[in-house]
Formats: sequence, structure tokens, C-alpha cells
Amino acid sequence: MERDSTTVDAAAVILAGGKSSRMGRPKALLLFDGEPLIAHVVRKLGNIFPEIIVVAAPDQELPPLPVKLARDDVAYQGPVSGIYHGLKASTREICFVTSCDAPFLNLALVSHLLSQISDFDVVVPFWQERFQPLHAVYRSSVAPLLKDQLERGELRPIFLYDKVRTRKIDECEIRRLDPEGLSLLNMNSPADYDAALQLWNKRNSISISVELFGVARMLAKTQLVSLDLAQGATLAQVLSALAERLPVLVGRVITSEGLISGYTCNINGLDFVRAPSAKVSSGDKIFILSADAGG
Amino acid sequence: MHGFHGRLLHVDLSTGQSVWHDLEQSRLRAFLGGIGLGTSLLYDYAPPGVEPFSPANPLIFASAPLVGTGLTTTAKFAVVTKSPLTGFIADSLSSSYFALELKRIGLDALIITGRAAAMAYIFIENEKVEIRAAEHLRGKSPLECESLIRGELDVPTARVAAIGKAGENKVRFATISNEGRHAGRGGVGAVMGSKNLKAITLCGDHAISVADPAGVDKIAGALRERSLGSLTDKYRKIGTVANLAVFNRLGTLPTRNFQQSTFDDADALSGESLTENNFSRRHGCAACTIRCERLFKALDGGEQRLEYETLFALGPLCGIDNPAVVLQAAQLCDLYGLDTISTGGTLAWAMECSERGLLPGAEELGLKFGQADALLAAIPAIAEGRGLGALLAQGSRRAAIEIGGESMHWAMHVKGLELPGYEPRSLKTMALGLAVSPRGACHNRSGAYEADFSGEVDRLRADSGRGVLVAGSEDFAAVLDSLIICKFLRKCFTDFYSESANLLSKVTGWDYSSAELERAGERIHNLKKLFNMREGWRTEHDWLPPRLLTETLPTGVAQGIGLPAEELREMIQSYYQARGWDEFGFITEDKLKQLGLSGVSGSEFQLSK
Repeated sequence: MERDSTTVDAAAVILAGGKSSRMGRPKALLLFDGEPLIAHVVRKLGNIFPEIIVVAAPDQELPPLPVKLARDDVAYQGPVSGIYHGLKASTREICFVTSCDAPFLNLALVSHLLSQISDFDVVVPFWQERFQPLHAVYRSSVAPLLKDQLERGELRPIFLYDKVRTRKIDECEIRRLDPEGLSLLNMNSPADYDAALQLWNKRNSISISVELFGVARMLAKTQLVSLDLAQGATLAQVLSALAERLPVLVGRVITSEGLISGYTCNINGLDFVRAPSAKVSSGDKIFILSADAGG
Repeated sequence: MHGFHGRLLHVDLSTGQSVWHDLEQSRLRAFLGGIGLGTSLLYDYAPPGVEPFSPANPLIFASAPLVGTGLTTTAKFAVVTKSPLTGFIADSLSSSYFALELKRIGLDALIITGRAAAMAYIFIENEKVEIRAAEHLRGKSPLECESLIRGELDVPTARVAAIGKAGENKVRFATISNEGRHAGRGGVGAVMGSKNLKAITLCGDHAISVADPAGVDKIAGALRERSLGSLTDKYRKIGTVANLAVFNRLGTLPTRNFQQSTFDDADALSGESLTENNFSRRHGCAACTIRCERLFKALDGGEQRLEYETLFALGPLCGIDNPAVVLQAAQLCDLYGLDTISTGGTLAWAMECSERGLLPGAEELGLKFGQADALLAAIPAIAEGRGLGALLAQGSRRAAIEIGGESMHWAMHVKGLELPGYEPRSLKTMALGLAVSPRGACHNRSGAYEADFSGEVDRLRADSGRGVLVAGSEDFAAVLDSLIICKFLRKCFTDFYSESANLLSKVTGWDYSSAELERAGERIHNLKKLFNMREGWRTEHDWLPPRLLTETLPTGVAQGIGLPAEELREMIQSYYQARGWDEFGFITEDKLKQLGLSGVSGSEFQLSK
């Protein structure tokens, strides 16, 4: 989770009411990082936006969220309708609009888009030869134009861009803040979802090494074990991963509650810790040794 | 009387007389036994200002209430005298069957004064005391003495403690050895040698009575069980040599005379490697369930005991990376009866001085860090007082004073006792413990390192909270060393003072409270200090060698860490304060009164001689 909670005077609009037809199930409810995807996106945006609006289809089921909920008048009318309802529901002049299937939102890039709006009505990234209307900043004042579009049946948001002051953010500018453009990545099929999950796990795992001393080393017949763990892992998770890797230590050095009495941990040669809740960080070297230094 | 016999035996080697004295109950209750009782007797028996090698310096063997009760790890005895290395108290412990036999003689303490006209050994069989000729034992190793004496006697259960050549030659860090174990530190073997006393042989059959046998058995059973659990895994499964790899990784392994706190070749010397490559046998003291001793295969086909302190001192401290050489050096130290820490410490000093061109004659021996042949040649030279060995036999402080100049800067000792294998700069509580210990740089009379290794404090930073920790650790050690309970059992207690007060009450029939026991620890420690004050202790004796205060650690996780003098001074002040002493470290009248020590040499615990 981002630690920067500097807020901006703008709202975030999340479009959640898409059909999810290729995905085969509602995208907003896909599990991601242990929570529904919509909750994941809301939590992320909550770091900088004081106001979040979720635009859902009529009767669409959503988990409880700390947001303002707006409903499309008609189901599945497309993005223009969603953006329009979102801007209308917002109390702020500036809105960042995204879809709910964007798990890798990059707040640095989003902030950059917001910073570019002052002389424009829309700030929209242009990535891989396409505008990205569902990762763009809109001035609420464009809402009437979108309404007109809807009435005319112009369901693609890009028709708006010729009519208002639009700032196009090109690839080069995007890459400066998001080298792989992951913020713009969304998921349409189960394969996209699997790939995103894998990418998430890869990006969010940490590598630590465990150095074994004394009895633990003798039992394991090794001095060093490298482990990949989830971001934010604790000593308890280190020990449980170690137990999985070296079952010979179970019951002798490690139990389900942590280290057995007589053993202790030291992180990076500096801090002695036994509390299972102690956090570890990527690159940490965790020593497992006797708690008794006498001799 | 339960737990004690209530008497001591005083043997005067000059006159050949031996006299039994009653020991007052008040003294036993106040000083417990072991180190406490030995200290109390030293205070009374040593004439103020006595020269360590004077016949008048008493050599005291003290037993303790828990010895012989069947409690695990308690087969121990204390040896207390005025140290020829420090000029202050020498209080050493050794263990195993000799300890049980000492108690079976039917005494709580054996005091030896005087000097035999010719090499002698004392034979005691219950009330029978004889001083026997021992010229034929001259030059023999302690183990050879044991087997020769037992061969001469018609008493298969006799137990022997003896000195080797080093003790005979008054090497100031000579040990007294029994069954391969040593009363190691402070030169007690040299004092024994100065009395022309080669050995003490004991056989007794006095019963050891306890007040509540069923109660003691129950506690003994519980402790035995705990002693076999994970809390003692390190000692039971690898032994103290397990420290080396950990200490190296934590930057606390003194290397090349404390130039560094990591050793590049530590892997080969680690307890884990030794166990894998050189393990021969596990052994234990009498009446011990932990059995921490490890014997390793030596090059000559024999086996050699090895503890962490020996391994560190004859290995990294001297830059030696070959386990076979360390084992051989340890063998030599055992053969001659030398304290391995002071041997390694003194040789490391000599190696450094030699490399710096400060030590005439050192080059002849080839004394340089990592030079195995020189190390192995120097040990016999020390024991026999040959050539440069005669200088080194004085220990690093005296040798440095004799050489003078810059060489004194490299002598790593406190009060003349060479430092053990705990780097003070990266173990700040231990740094304080080492600086203020009455015995000199000692890791046993306090376990100050325990706080550093627990996460309770930041081991790399000094602060004024350490005084209380060190004082508490010293008092705790004083109680363990006086009851006597091995330190390797210490973690098996949940509430040490209340559990051991209960235990001691059941052994002695006296109603001890945990507060009384805690107070006894404080009293014992204060009496050691009081003895040192009488023997010339001054504030400046509580200090660390200059290297530790001027150089930062160059390698490892503690790289860049030092110990500025003002930080040490602040910790020492906090310690004096925690002790209730004055700002110069002298015990106050009030404190003496509180501890019942105000008339220590005059009334309260005075012997009825």
C-alpha cells in the first residue's frame, strides 16, 4: 500500500458497471490481493483522493465501500455514460476517471495527469497508439457535452477530445513515471486476470535469506536458505516458509507458534527478535541461533 | 546440619599441621558456599596485602550446599585465593567427581596455607590428613598425576586435583586440574605451585544430608527434565564451540588481539564444522544431565576437549585458522595446566608486538599472527619458563610493563586478566561487565553479555541503563556460583530466585526467601570488591584496554562501531550508582551495613579459629 497520503482537490471516478462478458463474471468482484478488485482499486485511490465515486449498473452488487455510489440510468451503455454519471455525481471540478479492472494504478502517473489539467478540459494518455479514456482526467464542465454525445449515440469517449481543450500525454511522458505502463493495464479475459495476478505476486514478493547456526544448521545440513515471501511478511511467515522448505526443523527448532524456547532470531546481525509479528523487509538476512550465548 | 557439614579443614604446609574448625551457621547462611564461602574465608584468612606467592596466601577449596544432593549440574567446587595475575581476588570454579569427593570428606572448605619444604601432595581420607612426598610427580601433567596417585593408593574412588608444569613454575595463569577440567582463571595453579603442592587427593564417605529428601528429589526431577529440553540444545548437541560461527557473524569474535571482531576463516573453526569433521565423543561432569563437553579427534590420534573460549583464544585471537592446530595447542595447555584464555591472550599480545617490532626475541620464535609452529612452540616455553616464555609466563600486563613503551597499548587485559571471547565494542553491556568485574576481564562472574544478546538493549550503543543490568547479572552469577549451579542450567528456571530459595530451604532446612538469596548475591559480590579495596583497588582499575576505546571495528556487521572513553565512563558511573557505591566506586559504609558486612573482618561472620 502506498504510504503517500497527500490528497488532491479532485475526485476519482471508478467505472464498475461494465458487462464483463469476456471475463465471464463481474470484474469488480474478482479477488485480487485477498480482496475484491473494486475494493483494491478504491483503497489505492483513497491514498490521494478525498472523494471517490463508483459508477455501477442499476442493481449491480458491490461489496461495502467507503465511496459515493452513482448508478447508470440504463445498464451497459458504455464508458461515455459511466464518465458522464461520474462527473455529475462529483462535487469537485476535476475528476480522474478509471475502470475497476486496473489493478496496477500508478499514483505518480495519476498525479502527473492531474497536474496537467490547469489549462485543459481533458488530460488523456496516448499509449500504444490509442487514447486511454478510462485512465484520464476530466473537468466536470465537460459533462453536458458527454450527455449530448450519448443522445447522439456517440458511445466512444474520444469524440469528446476534438471538442474540448485536450492534453495528450504521449508514451514517452508516461514511461518516465511508469516505465511499463502498468497503470494502464486492464483485464478483459480470465487469461488477463491470471497474468495480472502473477505479475502482482512477482512485484509484491520480497526475497530474504535465512542463515542457520548451531543445531538448526546441523539438522538442516545447510547454512543458507533463500525465501520469497509476500510484501509485508512477518517473522511468523518466514518461519512457516522455512518449515515448509526444511521440515526437519519442525518440532526441533520451529513450531506452529514460532521458534521453540532456546532459539532466537537476529535480523541483519543487529536486532534480536522472537515476536512472530516482527516485520521483515526485502534483502533482510535472518539468523536463527541459540538464545543462549554462554560459553 | 543439612546441606553443609559445618566445618573446614585448614592445612598448613609449612608446619605440616592440619586443624579442623567449625564453620558458623551465620557465615554459611550469609555466603551460601562455593564462591561466596570461599570469598568470605579469603577475606579472613589472607593477611591484608599478602603477596600471592607468599606462603601466607590461602588457597581455598570451597564446597557448597547443593553439591552431592543429586541436583543436575551441581557437582562443582570453588577455588579462591589472591591472584598472582591480578593482585585481587581469584575465584575459579571446577567440577565433576573431585567436587563430590570434597564434600564427602565431611567439610565445607579446605584451606591451604604455608609452603611444603619439598614437592608434596595432600592426601585426605575423611579425618585422616597426610602431606606426602611428590617429587616423583614433578613435571607430570595433571592427568598423569591423577593416574599415578590413584595407582599408588589402594583407594579406587580417590579423586585428584593437580597442577602441571605451569603451576610448578608459577606461570601466573596456571590452572588446577581435575579429571580434565580446570579451575582456570586467575592463576590458582601458580599459587598451588608456590606452595610446592603438586596435588590434592581426596576420598571420603561422609553422607550428604538434606532436610527434605522427598522435596529435593521432586525439584531435582523437574530440573533434570527441563535440562534435557530445548533450552539446553546448544550445550547438549554441539557444546560451547557453537558460539564461534554466531559470534563471527554478529561481529563479536575477537580476532588478532582484538584488531577485528570477525575472522575470515571462521567457517573451518566453527562448532558446526568441528562437530562434522572432528567429533569424537560427548562427555559430561559427574551428576550432570546436560553433558556439554565435546571431545574432538586430535592429530595425534587422541582426543581433546574444546570449549569456545579455548577455541577463540588459540584460534582467531592468534590468527590461527586450522582446527588441528587449535586442538593441538589446547592439548598442550591441558598438559601443562595453563589457562587457555590467558595463554591465547598473552600470545596474541606477543604476536602483535612482534609484528610491530616491539618485542625483542619474538622473531626467533617466529611469533606472528597465524603462525602455527610458533604458537605450538611458545606454549611449552611459557610452561617451562624458557627464553621468551619466561616473560610471557607473567601474563600480558606484566610482560608489557617489562617491555614498556607502546607494547602496553596492545595488552588486552582488565586488572591483569586477559579478555575472554566477547568483543566489548559490539557488546556494550558486556564491556561494562568486563571493566568492573572484581576478577578482571571475566565472562563468568557476570553474564552481562546476556542483555546484549537478548534484544533487551541495543548492543552497539552504550547508555546509562547498563549499570543496573550488570549489577543484577553479577549478583545472579554470585548466587549460582555459591550454591553451586552450573550456568548452563540457568535458563531452565522460570523464577530463579524463588525456585532456588525453595530448593535451598529444602536442602538446608533453613527458610530462605528469594529476597534473602538475592541479597546474598549482592553481599558476596560486595565482599569480593571489599577484598579488592583492601588489596589496593583504585577507580582506575575498572577500565578497559586503550585499543577498545580508540579504535573502531573495521569489519562485519559492527563495522565502524567503537567505544569512546566517555561512554564507558558514563556506564561505569551508572554501575556504581546501581551498586549504591560512591562515585569513585568505593563501597559506602551504608552499603556495608545494609549487607551485614560492616564488621566483616571483626565480628559478624568471624571464624571461631
